[in-house]
Amino acid sequence: MKRAAAALLAGTLAGSIVLAGCSGGGSGGSADGGTKSVSYAVSDPVTLNPGRQTIAFAQIKELFSSLTFIKSDGSLTYLNAESVKSTDAVHWTIKLRPNWTFHNGEKVTAESYVKAWDTVAYGPNAWENSGQLVNIAGYDALNPAKGKPTTTKLSGLKVVDDLTFTVTLKSADGQFPTQLSQAQSGFFPMPEAAYKDLEGFAKKPIGNGPFEMVDAYTENEPMTVKRYDAYQGPKPTVDEIVFKPYTDMTTAYTDVQAGSTDILFVPASRMAQVKKDFGDRAYVFQGLGMNYLGLPLWDKRYQDIRVRQAISMAIDRQAVSNVIYGGIWEPATALTPPGEPGTPVGLCGDLCKFNPTKAKQLLAEAGGFTGKMEIRYPGGSGLDDLYNAYANQLRQNLGIKDVTATPTTDFPEFQKLRNDKNLSGPYFSRWGALYASQQNTLRSFYTKAGGCVNCIPYYTPQIEQLIAKADAEVDPQKAIQGYVDVQKAILKDFPAPPMFFEKYAYATSDRIAKLAEGAGSLELENTTLADS
Amino acid sequence: MLRFTIRRLIELVLVFFGVTFAIYAAVFALPGDPISSLGGDQPLSPAVVERIRDLYHLNDPLWSQYLRYLGHLLTGDLGVDFRGRSVAERLAARWPVTIRLALTAWVIQVVIGVGLGLVAGLRKNTWIDRGVLILTILIASVPIFVMAVTAQLVFGVKLSLLPIAGVSDGWPVSYLLPATVLAIYGLAAVARLTRGSVIDTMSSDFVRALWAKGLSRRRVIGVHVLRNSSIPVLTYLAIDLGALLGGAVVTEGIFNLPGVGQLLFESIRVHEGPTVVGIATALILIFLITSVIVDLLNSLLDPRIRHD
Repeated sequence: MKRAAAALLAGTLAGSIVLAGCSGGGSGGSADGGTKSVSYAVSDPVTLNPGRQTIAFAQIKELFSSLTFIKSDGSLTYLNAESVKSTDAVHWTIKLRPNWTFHNGEKVTAESYVKAWDTVAYGPNAWENSGQLVNIAGYDALNPAKGKPTTTKLSGLKVVDDLTFTVTLKSADGQFPTQLSQAQSGFFPMPEAAYKDLEGFAKKPIGNGPFEMVDAYTENEPMTVKRYDAYQGPKPTVDEIVFKPYTDMTTAYTDVQAGSTDILFVPASRMAQVKKDFGDRAYVFQGLGMNYLGLPLWDKRYQDIRVRQAISMAIDRQAVSNVIYGGIWEPATALTPPGEPGTPVGLCGDLCKFNPTKAKQLLAEAGGFTGKMEIRYPGGSGLDDLYNAYANQLRQNLGIKDVTATPTTDFPEFQKLRNDKNLSGPYFSRWGALYASQQNTLRSFYTKAGGCVNCIPYYTPQIEQLIAKADAEVDPQKAIQGYVDVQKAILKDFPAPPMFFEKYAYATSDRIAKLAEGAGSLELENTTLADS
Repeated sequence: MLRFTIRRLIELVLVFFGVTFAIYAAVFALPGDPISSLGGDQPLSPAVVERIRDLYHLNDPLWSQYLRYLGHLLTGDLGVDFRGRSVAERLAARWPVTIRLALTAWVIQVVIGVGLGLVAGLRKNTWIDRGVLILTILIASVPIFVMAVTAQLVFGVKLSLLPIAGVSDGWPVSYLLPATVLAIYGLAAVARLTRGSVIDTMSSDFVRALWAKGLSRRRVIGVHVLRNSSIPVLTYLAIDLGALLGGAVVTEGIFNLPGVGQLLFESIRVHEGPTVVGIATALILIFLITSVIVDLLNSLLDPRIRHD
């Protein structure tokens, strides 16, 4: 009995090794029939409903087309819209391009947008991306503080004809067209068919984008999208994209090394080695992420501006980046990332340059630092090396003996501590912008309504007014000047040291000849394959 | 025997209520709001957060939440997670992965572990015996993630023999590497237990009597020694199977196997109370049931063990 079982097992083992030998190597390979297929490592998307997704950006971007589109150089173009125009930054007219259809053949009309926005904004639906529409007139009526809203429609939206609709905003916002770009999926259109079965739509969305779903998405299984033939936008270079879910991106990293998956967004823990492991198959793209070291402005010890400046000058950003991120992250020299047009790179000047002598001197002038400096950051997010490095630098270069870096158990705990102002030392403070405008980063960090839950709570009426003034400019150049003025005003107070402009690293298998850079991401659909 | 079984079942029910409540309370007590971090990087608007909290009764006191959960549980409803996905469905999708992984690892442990133990026991104090001891202890002392990542690099990246992540190649190919890594850690225990047990049995009186009767070596060892020395090993193996079915969080994570262990880990991270309790309940049941089965099996194998 036992022997039989052993023989059986030995047989299976031997058999499967032979099998594995056959399939090993190129499982992500495209068929020789000519379908250009690439696979991309992703985390589980949870939902593909654009009004609700919060981590499915890569998938949604291929399935849907936004009204406007930001290119890798930060310039704004039109995609599904023919024009988005306003003279006062409050009243906007959006004209759609004709002949666009959803994947089920339905026409993309003004109504496809208006009804979708009504649905996303409708309070009782509690859709996660509802906040993106907050500045449209009538949003508050759909989200009363108590009880059910009395209407289901945004009063600020009017359908003019099949391809035209108007939008009235609550306050002037010249960046509105930029907000309608590819990552702000709360502004995406939905076909009539979606409302009949929203659950089904979340698993097999019918979009207006360059790719359509092959089958409904199943949790933890690869998801394939294929090119939509009737697509009216720019033709993608690949025919098919396979999104492969991983829970641990370091596993995905190894899997790309093994050649089973083609493309991956390199996790922070592998950045130091990616150039060595992948050589010219490693790519570094401009990111829209901005890293600060938040400071507890509610704590007396941090209220002297010289203390805050000393902390900034005591950290050798380049050295930290070299050791932890392989030099990929760029030391910050402004308050917004350079991917946002008009960012005044270098504005921070000496305050963002490593200068331990000056730092010590500033700290001494401010009367030194008493007690323990306890740095906190969310645990389980791969941030340990970075914050320990900060702690070491502050200990060595400021001469503060007791500097510790302690993770919280997880992100929710960190948020709670931060929101309750229950932190007594420097802390994690980061924002990844969804659209390339200084407005997005400045709003999140420096306005109350921006609501970045983990950011610096530095809100002053003066800054809010300056931001509102820049927002009101319709002319892009004037707006940029306005945001630069905001940055200058903030730097006078120096509430928290800007640390890094995030760069995004990607790695590919040898099947890929070239990746196309996008705005704060990559253009997966325009990947060049090696064998084509 | 019947009384014994009934007593065990009553214990099972008590443990079940106690543990589900303890876990529910523990997840509830975790600091921070799971809803406001649903949006990841992007903040959800306060109105949305409030609505979702209402939807899942998160503003109610703990006892009322637990009773509501228990009520649903007793009617077989495991509830939904904070994204509205059915917990039962998510679990159902993951059990096959964990069961395949656990059984594959278990079979490897049984075959290799018992085999090694048997050889070592029959050749006690020879270099083979010592070799087995050193080898099994040596491998077991390497941390599992080191072993797993090394295995991935060697068999996946360098040799391109086996897939290193995911289950898309199906059983057994996708499971060979993780199951072997997982099995290695039980080998030492199984081999040592088998060895000790075999040595004990070999020196017992009844075996000497069997030799004296002139039975063949094959029959003495193959039937009598094996059967009698299998009791402690069997107990260990059964409990081990229960533990393996509990999901190997590290292994499932490194090899990207969407199993129960991984779901449990993710759910704890994002404070998904209903999912955590659902999984934990299932795991507790498995554990309790295997231990009852082990007790019953033991008394069948060895008539000297009687429980009433």
